[in-house]
Amino acid sequence: MREITYLEAVREAMSQEMRKNQDVYLLGEDIGVYGGAFGVTRGMIEEFGPERVRNTPISEAAIAGAAVGSALTGMRPILELQFSDFITIAMDQLVNQAAKLRYMYGGKGKVPMVVRTPAGSGTGAAAQHSQSLEAWMAHIPGLKVVQPSTAYDAKGLLKAAIDDDNPVIFYEHKLLYKMKSHVPEEPYSIPLGKADMKREGKDVTIVATAMMVHKALEAAKELEKEGIDVEIVDPRTLVPLDEETIVESVKKTGRVVVVHEAVKRGGYGGEIASIIAESEAFDYLDAPIKRLGGLPVPIPYNPNLEKAAVPQVPDIIKAVKETVQFK
Amino acid sequence: MAKEIFMPKLSSTMEVGTLLQWLKEEGEPVDIGEPLFEIMTDKINIEVEAYDRGILLKKYFQADDQVPVNQVIGYIGERGEAVPEEPPILSEGATEPSGQKTEPSAISEDAVEGKSNENGKVRATPAARRLAKEAQADLQSILGSGPKGRIHLKDVQQYLETEKEQPKASPLARKMAERENIDWKTLQGSGAGGKVMSRDVIHAVPAQASGQKQEQHEVRKKLSGLRKVVADRMVQSAFTAPHVTLTSDVDMTKAIEMRIALLPTVETQTGFRLTYTDILIKAVGTALSRFPEVNVHLEHDEIIYKKNVNVGVAVAVQDGLIVPVIKQVEQKGLAAICAEAKDLSKRAREQKLRPDELEGSTFTISNLGMYPIDAFTPIINQPEIAILGVGRTQEKPVVVNGEIAIRPIMTVSLSFDHRVIDGAPAAEFLAEVKRILENPYEMIL
Repeated sequence: MREITYLEAVREAMSQEMRKNQDVYLLGEDIGVYGGAFGVTRGMIEEFGPERVRNTPISEAAIAGAAVGSALTGMRPILELQFSDFITIAMDQLVNQAAKLRYMYGGKGKVPMVVRTPAGSGTGAAAQHSQSLEAWMAHIPGLKVVQPSTAYDAKGLLKAAIDDDNPVIFYEHKLLYKMKSHVPEEPYSIPLGKADMKREGKDVTIVATAMMVHKALEAAKELEKEGIDVEIVDPRTLVPLDEETIVESVKKTGRVVVVHEAVKRGGYGGEIASIIAESEAFDYLDAPIKRLGGLPVPIPYNPNLEKAAVPQVPDIIKAVKETVQFK
Repeated sequence: MAKEIFMPKLSSTMEVGTLLQWLKEEGEPVDIGEPLFEIMTDKINIEVEAYDRGILLKKYFQADDQVPVNQVIGYIGERGEAVPEEPPILSEGATEPSGQKTEPSAISEDAVEGKSNENGKVRATPAARRLAKEAQADLQSILGSGPKGRIHLKDVQQYLETEKEQPKASPLARKMAERENIDWKTLQGSGAGGKVMSRDVIHAVPAQASGQKQEQHEVRKKLSGLRKVVADRMVQSAFTAPHVTLTSDVDMTKAIEMRIALLPTVETQTGFRLTYTDILIKAVGTALSRFPEVNVHLEHDEIIYKKNVNVGVAVAVQDGLIVPVIKQVEQKGLAAICAEAKDLSKRAREQKLRPDELEGSTFTISNLGMYPIDAFTPIINQPEIAILGVGRTQEKPVVVNGEIAIRPIMTVSLSFDHRVIDGAPAAEFLAEVKRILENPYEMIL
């Protein structure tokens, strides 16, 4: 099977859907000729024209508001927010409008829109362009939250997100755009709410999201040399969350480390840890649940400090060792 | 939290209690209201009930230990809860509990660290707990390898592995076997997987005991329990109070007539048959109210004149003797006395008297009239100063108005404490008792 990058997988999912469905269109800042801040939509305006690949003013509130309105009136917009940090500006439209309207209209209206937005640190973009705010969105009933970690997942999940009649926040990690994996050429859909076992093991479960899936895989390779067999569960979607896969894995291994890049305090890892503790996996836990997350600081501009602010491979190795110490 | 078990204070004068026996073993479940242990005060044996539900975690004292009141003698709590190795020391300068007194603090704290429990909880992972529960293993006896002694799944697995190789016994069975000097490993276990349970040990005990009997040793029994109380009190009285005993014959003709006349009435009223003891109680009570100098206690250097006439009646019970008290005899009629005396003596034999029913007597009657005993020298029940011993009533030839007549004669013996009263007043008192018994209508006055 051919290999393409995560970025290409996202573009391919959109293009394939737009060719098929005239209601699907894009809107965002500089997504036209410039191809978007990270080049995801490069070449799309040439294929689909400015009517369907629409440049907008620099106003996330306006982009989100326009998307909500067009979605309510029958379109299936995909909007791009250049940096997920600025989702804060679109917050009112997303939280008070997109998330609520289907409920408030008793199901007579629906908001089939996808908010694509790059998140995460590691590009030297400093405090205002490097955050991981997915927990904010996951807290809002009515929004679905997707965090693909591979090109394959990105294509399939984006197709599912476009097909979904509810607003979906689709987080793309900036460092993953260049990462390649085997991706089928034909369209396919990965159901939202289905976790993926990125690695099977028996000693400890790592629940990792987005970029941390890859760091966990790297850590697992190191740990394997020391005889520690790591299982890695990638939830892929935070809302809905595949609790069953996580719980089953923890029941098998009896130990769990939850890793995400977002700040640990108030992060979604707390939710996952709580679900495990409340589940029947509790009786199988043989070590305290461990969480790894970003430090409670603004992401620093200094590249060394930037790395130090979020979990790295050695941090994961250390956490796993602490957890399996009494194996 | 584990709850303390205290040596109860059963009366205002009780300072120490003797632990007679525990009715539960460490590790046994206890319910509220279940008899937990038996103690003896200077007056009574009593079973003490549990105030809490749980597991008897600790017994600090053994049978025959003398324990000050309010001393913690044990703990009830949840299985696995930690309790101090040594009983808490009583404050207010109360006596130290018996047994060796070690430094409890440092040692036990270390032990707590090592035993992986803190605040009475075992430190164990959920997985370890689940397995331990499934395998019915006691986490308390498993050593944790984790930080601060945390028990991990692996520790339970290892424990179960070693357990499998060894013959099994429940903790209670082990303890009982140790006490009975039985090697539990030789017993056939009736529990799951041949585990030796407490019942197996219990079955083994009589078998071994009968084996011992065949060797025909002399039976030796420690002076304990009520026997010891009686012994101590008799020695105390006999060797401090100079006893003088006066005896007198009483013609019981009229008393017998009166009893026969009153029998149906009293039986209708109370359901009990009026006895000579009841008549004696009333007669003595009447005499005492006329002789306040006999109705006294001697405490230290003081003679205390008692307001009421409370007559104690010695009752023989299993391995001893106790003296329930009929209070305020001067205010009670024969029927009331009869009913009360029957109730008290019945419950005395069943060891179900309350401590206050054994307190406060100002005079005691000891009646051996049911035996072929004519007279005896009773020992004073201190702090009283006199006691009346009653022998059998027998028809004897006596001289009445210059002629020999056959009369029912009963001999009474009054022992008195010569420190408090002298022969003459004692004789007057005994003469009064005799006069009342011979003219029982006096009692109506």
